[in-house]
Amino acid sequence: MVVRINVLLPHQCGFFHIDVKEVVNTANEELFKTLSDAVVSCKKDDVIAAVGKAKGKAPAVELIDNGLAAGMNEVGVLFERGKLFLPHVMMAADAMSAGVELLQDELGGSEGASSKLGVIVNGTVEGDVHDIGKAIVSTMLQAAGFEVHDIGRDVPVQNFIDKIKETDADMVGLSALMTTTLQGQKEVIELLKENGLRDKVKVMVGGAPATDAWAKKCGADCYAENASEAVAKAKELLL
Amino acid sequence: MTTEHFLRMGDGQKIFMTKEDIRADIEAGSADAADLGEIPAMSENEIDHMLDIITSPGRIVGVEPGLEVPVTHDIGSIRIDGDQGNSGVGIPASRLVGSMVHERAFGADTMELGHIDYSYKPVKPVISHECQTMEVCQQNMIIPMLYGAMPNMGLYYTPDGPFENPGDLMKAFKISEAQDSIQHAGDHGIRDMVWIMQKLQKVGSDGVNFDTIGAAGDGDMYASLNAIEALRKEFPGIYIEAGMAGELVLGMHGDLEYDGTRLAGLWPHQQAPLVAKAGANIFGPVCNTNTSRTSAWNLGRSVTFTKAAVEASSIPCHVDMGMGVGGIPMLETPPIDAVTRASKAMVEIAGVDGI
Repeated sequence: MVVRINVLLPHQCGFFHIDVKEVVNTANEELFKTLSDAVVSCKKDDVIAAVGKAKGKAPAVELIDNGLAAGMNEVGVLFERGKLFLPHVMMAADAMSAGVELLQDELGGSEGASSKLGVIVNGTVEGDVHDIGKAIVSTMLQAAGFEVHDIGRDVPVQNFIDKIKETDADMVGLSALMTTTLQGQKEVIELLKENGLRDKVKVMVGGAPATDAWAKKCGADCYAENASEAVAKAKELLL
Repeated sequence: MTTEHFLRMGDGQKIFMTKEDIRADIEAGSADAADLGEIPAMSENEIDHMLDIITSPGRIVGVEPGLEVPVTHDIGSIRIDGDQGNSGVGIPASRLVGSMVHERAFGADTMELGHIDYSYKPVKPVISHECQTMEVCQQNMIIPMLYGAMPNMGLYYTPDGPFENPGDLMKAFKISEAQDSIQHAGDHGIRDMVWIMQKLQKVGSDGVNFDTIGAAGDGDMYASLNAIEALRKEFPGIYIEAGMAGELVLGMHGDLEYDGTRLAGLWPHQQAPLVAKAGANIFGPVCNTNTSRTSAWNLGRSVTFTKAAVEASSIPCHVDMGMGVGGIPMLETPPIDAVTRASKAMVEIAGVDGI
């Protein structure tokens, strides 16, 4: 887009080129910032209005990646810093989905940001009734664009395998909040191997007693300290 | 050759670092807390003091004479008997024996009676048993004996309780329904916690410990503060200890308030005044340990948060120290080198009134 405008300019000195690029980039940056700010505001109406104004002024993929998705990342940062909270994350995710929906016709056949980032099965292992931390992780992963199947807490080992097969999952998230139930994470990994699924399915472990060292020991692909890190590591492993 | 000092990772792994690297980690941990909480980072002198504590050659360290602080134990009454991998040593003993061992052999300054489920809600059906045990403990012991449990609002949501699980509702974008569920659970929690303590006060309990406030987010904090306020009003002389679950109150609801202050997103120095306002006698600030960081980073961060809370609090602060909190590694039985170093730093640098 920047190149096209430069070709039309009468002065072809390099210096001028740079200035024009900056002007164009600044205009786009303002566009992206407006979209990003609208997502951070968590207001669906603001996002829809911002997308309506931005549509056609930059490629839809850029509007999504540099505007809406950037805003969602900012929401994640603000959540981690205790400035925004779970309902706001969900409102922002809902607003972003509405914005992406408006850009669908421009995305055409290309792989847009509307496609799912991956399929994740999430659950707390058998014998462990803790739910809240795992639920936050599921919510944040969903808000980030993953298809999440949260199968609850105190989940029998076989249920993880069944759900992974049913959903053709790319990753499984295993939560345990007690030292006594941590072993359940390893049991799921062992059953994944027995079912020939281990090479296909990434494994993330989490929960208060889980650590990096435990993740290595039990054969998981990664350990996530909190919900924001879970999103970052899921992206790292699946994208 | 540069001398390296022994310390630990947050998961308890033994590591060796140079003084310069340890100092850099203390500084980084403190800076992280200062950045998040918008509070002062540790001063150069304080960092030097912490560095001395961490690099002290002895296996254990202690505070200078005269700086000793009172210690109390959550659920210590079942720590002798407990054998579930939760720091218990699996020696058959009643809760009375467990409490008396803490009083007469371990030097505990206060003690608490706790049920194995350690949440208020499951105490309701066994309240008579709890009252009887409390009465027997009071008849045999001298130190203050509180009743303690977790507010644990999670038990009020499906499948454990009557209210729809806000986590499920939130994922279905039913945000206002999720918020309503949290509010209703909080209101039930207040009623239950007050009722339980009304019963225990009648048999001579010296007070109550609200342990891990905020574990289920801001609804948990909302219920706890209102229960504290109601108990203070009904029992003016009751001793109330209010300990947190983590450094940040998670915003599961997002808009719940106490005394005009939004509860979600509060850091320890902002929690302390509210806890005092509700009527507690003691505030227990908490900072969780990051298992992927060194104990130097974790201690720098914990002390920075705790010091700000101590300064902001009008009531004494008894910092929560143990498995995975207060700069102590996440191990079932935390290593004594780390426990004593973190405790000394909390007393001498953060200025806590108790542990």
